Amino acid sequence: MLDLAPHLLAGLEISTLPQQLVTGLLIGTIYALVALGYTMVYGVLKLINFAHGEVFMLGAYAALLISWSLGYTPGNSLEHGSWMALILMLIGAMIVCALIGMIIERLAYRPMRNQARIASLITAIGVSLFLQYGGQIFLLNGTPQNIDPKVSPFYSSDPTVGNIQLTIKGPNKELLAKADQMSSLVDKAKTDYEAELKLEGGDEFNLQPKGKELRDLYRKEQRDLESAKNDANKGAILVNLPKGQVFMLGSVLIIMVGLTWLVMFTRQGRAMRAVSLDFDSASLMGINVNAVVTFTFALGSSLAGAGAMMAATFQSGTKIDTFFGVLPGVKAFVAAVLGGIGNIPGAVLGGILMGLAENLVVWAGYGGYKDAIAFVILIAILLFKPGGLLGSAKVEKV
Amino acid sequence: MLSRNGGFSRLALSALAIGLLMGCSSGGDKAATGSPSGTTTTSSDPKPAGGGTRPQPTAPVVTASGDSIKVGIVASLSGDNKPWGDDSYEGAKLAVKEINDKGGIQGKKIELIVQDDASTAQGAKTAADKLLSQGVLTIIGEVSSSCTIQIANSAFEKNVPVVAIGATKTDLTDIGANVFRVCYSDAFQGPVMAKFAYEELGLRNVALMTDNKQAYSQGLSASFKTSFESLGGKIVDEQKYDTGQTQFGGQLTELKSKNPDGIFMSGYFTEVGPIAQQARAAGINAKFLGGDGWDSEKLLDSGGTAIVGGFFCNHYNNKESRPIVKEFLTKWGKAHNGQAPTTTMGALGYDAAALALDAISRAAKLDSGAIIKALDSTTNFHGVSGDITLQGQNGTPLKQALVVEVRPRSEGFQVFRKAYSPDQVK
Repeated sequence: MLDLAPHLLAGLEISTLPQQLVTGLLIGTIYALVALGYTMVYGVLKLINFAHGEVFMLGAYAALLISWSLGYTPGNSLEHGSWMALILMLIGAMIVCALIGMIIERLAYRPMRNQARIASLITAIGVSLFLQYGGQIFLLNGTPQNIDPKVSPFYSSDPTVGNIQLTIKGPNKELLAKADQMSSLVDKAKTDYEAELKLEGGDEFNLQPKGKELRDLYRKEQRDLESAKNDANKGAILVNLPKGQVFMLGSVLIIMVGLTWLVMFTRQGRAMRAVSLDFDSASLMGINVNAVVTFTFALGSSLAGAGAMMAATFQSGTKIDTFFGVLPGVKAFVAAVLGGIGNIPGAVLGGILMGLAENLVVWAGYGGYKDAIAFVILIAILLFKPGGLLGSAKVEKV
Repeated sequence: MLSRNGGFSRLALSALAIGLLMGCSSGGDKAATGSPSGTTTTSSDPKPAGGGTRPQPTAPVVTASGDSIKVGIVASLSGDNKPWGDDSYEGAKLAVKEINDKGGIQGKKIELIVQDDASTAQGAKTAADKLLSQGVLTIIGEVSSSCTIQIANSAFEKNVPVVAIGATKTDLTDIGANVFRVCYSDAFQGPVMAKFAYEELGLRNVALMTDNKQAYSQGLSASFKTSFESLGGKIVDEQKYDTGQTQFGGQLTELKSKNPDGIFMSGYFTEVGPIAQQARAAGINAKFLGGDGWDSEKLLDSGGTAIVGGFFCNHYNNKESRPIVKEFLTKWGKAHNGQAPTTTMGALGYDAAALALDAISRAAKLDSGAIIKALDSTTNFHGVSGDITLQGQNGTPLKQALVVEVRPRSEGFQVFRKAYSPDQVK
């Protein structure tokens, strides 16, 4: 334990911090979307909906199947992405999830509503396991699938096209110019080698001694050029923003503004807030509490669907299987507790903090503990501030 | 209703406990547990590990009963490793059918009993126990090391031989004298890729991406590291991730700042694909390298164009010119509408079953102890994936390894680049 401190510092690389924070923010918005579902359901029913992660998983499957039906199938996908496909996938995943959320509420939670709280909690876990394992029977049993990244119109295999690059501190221009002069050496070595390669039959890995010599020379020149470039780039701070993820951030913000409007300025939102304030009194005041609960589940689940679609589409290659929702579900739950469960801005704050925390752990050199940080935060928050960061008196009144 | 004070925290704590439990029982967890051989071997010696000190099973032998010989196979027929599980089972079925068509062994038909392990180590233990309780004389399987460790431990207690198909973890065969395999070990595969990276690709600064949850990945990274460094190269960074993770942006940012010219990704194709794509998206243009965990065409789905041009180590290639390969492909094609196996595990599954049946036919008696002895004395068995000699090798044959390049489907997914024989790699 004593030598932990120097080791902690040894892994820190200040030039990667901005990129890590941006990556953390982007993934954090997904956690925030999912955390909103936990927090809203907790707000009205005082129930932790453990099946929320599985709703997220089903949303990803919905997006996957829609992308397939639009022609982005594995192996022979369409080459160009389309806005239409993205929007259809997003809306489709949201609708499917809203329906699933409503079904789960009606069949699993409503019959348990007047039972002890723990019974509902166990039911939630039952639903979660049912969907994880039962899902394997009918959801493309077998290898994990993934949404073809080509579905996104922002996707490009060339990062300079697919990314927005922000330069916080540029490379050393003098050294860069020096490096550029070296590239003619590389070109010459390349021409020599390629001529010899042709002579020897084109098999790069089984060459005559002469070809080998030229190849190794070419590779050495390449290495020298690279290391000169690296020297020039030392200390430079660049941030890469995949365009798809910027789109994702924009959509999340729009969804959140919409949600705020819905909760704060509509009749349905006022009813929701009334039910979350006092379930029984609200029903005495003539609010149809069942309708409000159903609406809350539909709303929360559709947010999970949106999050799932974006996570699976814009994190290229993300595999989708029936356990897809387990980790995001747990992390979003922690995010909701961190922000103060039952509190809507709290869920957003918690989600973003979770995303940042995860990436800071990696930044500090502990990539293997990336998932563990969620539990560390949960334990810490329960010990020191059980109400959460934005927890209000409303939360304490359980 | 819970009490006003601290009610929520208690509820949430119990929820946390339950959440943790769920986390453990799900998530396609392939983590190795309870390996008696303990830590990962980092030896770069291509010779089998152990040196003749493998513990002998002491339980009474299992004797054949009835008019058939029961042989079990554990395969990942569901879960992440399904492409391998399916191929290995189909390969084994082919070998069994061949013997049965010739009249079986000593007039008895071979009965192949399959159990699915859902690509998990826990599943493999249950599957192996089920097979053992049905009185199988030999267990074939598995493809992954984490699963095979469980099978080998269960079989050791019952004195039943295990012929592993694609499990390459170096110290796997140290579990007991009943454990054999038809593939090379990571102590060979790591150095092969290190040599290829250093000499043929001219890489000097390589970074590692290791799957923290896979015994295979940890062992392979370690063996690559040792030999790459001994060749004079530098390992500039090692980043860890867990099976099932989907976004690697954090790890890749750190890795990029170290300017590697190559990235060795020792995990399975399910994570390697997304890592490759996200690495290219982050602007990393290093060469990608890996082990036989890459061997599935699914890699092209999750890895997109990013993974094309990567190199990995494999056991055998459908396009090899040896007659036995052609013969195998004809037989496979007959059973599968003219298709060829999509992964190497078809050939290795066939070899594992054929080797086991060959040993059964050579065994002095039809009991598991005699079969172990027969397996251990195998010399020059002509397998599809190469000649296999187990005598004096402590369960791991000396075989050649192929380096293949990932190409688009239209070019056949993997293209042979260079072969390494055991004496070429030190």
